[in-house]
Amino acid sequence: MNRREFLSASAIVAGSLCAPGILRAETVIKLGVLTPLTGAGASDGPRMVKAMQAVVEEVNKAGGVIGRSIELVVEDDQTNPEAAVRAAQKLVGVDRVPVIMGTWASAVTSAVAPVCWESKTCLMTVSGADSITQLPHQGYIFRTQPNTALQATKHAEYIASVGAKKVFYVAVQTPFAATMREQIASVLTAKGSSLVGGLIYESNKTSYRSEIDSAIAAKPDFIYLNSYSPDLTVLLKDLYRAGYSGGRITQSYAYTSKVAEGIQADVTDGLITVQPSSDVGSEAYSLVQKRLSNPAADSYEAQATDWISLALLAVQKSGKVVGTDIRDAVRLISQGGGTKVYSAAEGLKLLQQGKDVNYDGASGNCDFNEKGDIMDCRFRYSAAKGGKIELIKIV
Amino acid sequence: MNVLQLIANGIMAGSILAIPAIGLTAMYSVLRFPNFAIASHATVGAFAGWVANSVYGFSVLPSLAIALLISGLVGLLTDELILKPFRSAGVITTAIGSLALTIGLENVVRLFFGNDLRGYDLPLARDIIVGGIHLGPQQLNNLAVSIVVMALVFGFLFFTRMGKAMRAVADNPRLADIKGIDSRIVARIASFMGMGLAGLGGMLIGLDSSIDPLTGFRSMLPIFAAAVVGGLGSIPGAVAGALVIGIAEELSLLALPASYKSAVAFIAIMLILTLRPQGLFGREAN
Repeated sequence: MNRREFLSASAIVAGSLCAPGILRAETVIKLGVLTPLTGAGASDGPRMVKAMQAVVEEVNKAGGVIGRSIELVVEDDQTNPEAAVRAAQKLVGVDRVPVIMGTWASAVTSAVAPVCWESKTCLMTVSGADSITQLPHQGYIFRTQPNTALQATKHAEYIASVGAKKVFYVAVQTPFAATMREQIASVLTAKGSSLVGGLIYESNKTSYRSEIDSAIAAKPDFIYLNSYSPDLTVLLKDLYRAGYSGGRITQSYAYTSKVAEGIQADVTDGLITVQPSSDVGSEAYSLVQKRLSNPAADSYEAQATDWISLALLAVQKSGKVVGTDIRDAVRLISQGGGTKVYSAAEGLKLLQQGKDVNYDGASGNCDFNEKGDIMDCRFRYSAAKGGKIELIKIV
Repeated sequence: MNVLQLIANGIMAGSILAIPAIGLTAMYSVLRFPNFAIASHATVGAFAGWVANSVYGFSVLPSLAIALLISGLVGLLTDELILKPFRSAGVITTAIGSLALTIGLENVVRLFFGNDLRGYDLPLARDIIVGGIHLGPQQLNNLAVSIVVMALVFGFLFFTRMGKAMRAVADNPRLADIKGIDSRIVARIASFMGMGLAGLGGMLIGLDSSIDPLTGFRSMLPIFAAAVVGGLGSIPGAVAGALVIGIAEELSLLALPASYKSAVAFIAIMLILTLRPQGLFGREAN
């Protein structure tokens, strides 16, 4: 075999090896889903996958993205950072996905994030810890869950809106306890109320009487209880015993229906609970309800819908299935002066006609700041009454 | 902050702590190893009491008796079947075995009851104010129960034949053996009594807050601190140690942020082991 023959033979062999890959790549776009199907997040993970698959089906039926159909590669992060990193490495290394969607626990997201930015892969998450978007992620992380600073701002605005003047902050020792206190204090001051004191307590004690005594000594008319369930039960009982009759607010994840069952109703009556809400009543949210045949679709399903929609629109906008291009295109389709769209299918149609779009999602308007955090979202306020939790409003 | 109020809160907390601390120290004095399984037995007692109170509708006092009985029986069984074979391998091995036992037993509770918080069927009453100090009626009841139980334990140890036998074995096992005291029966009584008191303490803790499978584990550090500060093996010492830890934790709020409360128990253990290793009421180590 002479040199010319060798080169041409090599070219044919190399070409034939690459061909199936190219052909497959031309027909299917693979996107990564890494979500808890087992472990602590197992109640939310499968529903998030379903919400994303529903969008993919809808888009595939309408002709796909840049002329290609979409396939989700789903991996279980087991709500475990170590398992999640292995799964993420498989997604970026073997499946070569340009985006990973669905991490739930903050510890998992923090572990997976470096794998993503090192491989120039976008990461869309529901994890709340402030530290996540402060990582040096080069813009690859997008978070649709409000961070604690945004939560503190909204909670303080609500507390001021119900007329509270002297607020006391009681929080369990967590990495965000102190920063939330500062944020709440500054918002309250701006609204004409004030934070008259605060204490950060140790979790899992059997009594907080002395802590409650010191809170009541500051004569507050409203107490913010930033606690987890076991401590919240003790705090609420101790507040009741001490004869405190002012307002109280806590996170919905602390005051669950199980907690309510364990405490007599007059101890908890009037307790306000708050949680981030999907954009109930919005067009995007009603599309989610219809798509999932679930009138009570929750914030996780809404956020999952938004991740896949943003990713698909960004691929269409950039015309490439590359992590860096998707990263750069997300803000071009999620915010700005384009035509408002409420679903991926609707947005793709306009993008294909060369028009600009501004996607407003089911979890909120999906406008991201430079860190990758959403800038606004709605919150759901409820009140405990007779052992039940009743909706007050969503703002 | 009102110092008297803090001391009152400390006495309430300490008196509840004293019950499992007596159990721990009684077992230590006879069996000569620190039984970490006390944590899960406190949980077992709390759940046994909960079933009696919330499922079968017993009032608090009979429920407390059931908590004591069930956790005592579980303690007796686990000691006979699981810990006893470890004892010939030495103190450390038995202590580690008890740690494994506590994790296992805690998960058995989790298997049957799940991780949810549960509250006793007990109306919550507002505090009464005496001389400017807030006192909770439930806490006063708990204090009364603690005092009665302590009196009964002392009565048992000092005035009954079996109690005296237990003290004899604790004092000098070899001499007790020569005098014909059956150390196996004494060991069983100690296990039943120790774990029964742990279960009773677990329910008393739950009456004031709520219970879940980690109820006992959460209280393990102050219980051990109380027993060590008082002098492991000394029953009056356990009571004194519990009151010292209870009051010191509350008074620490005057000087330390509330998030450092548990540090008090560690500091107490450290100080006592450095300055008086035998504890407040313990005998000189020989």
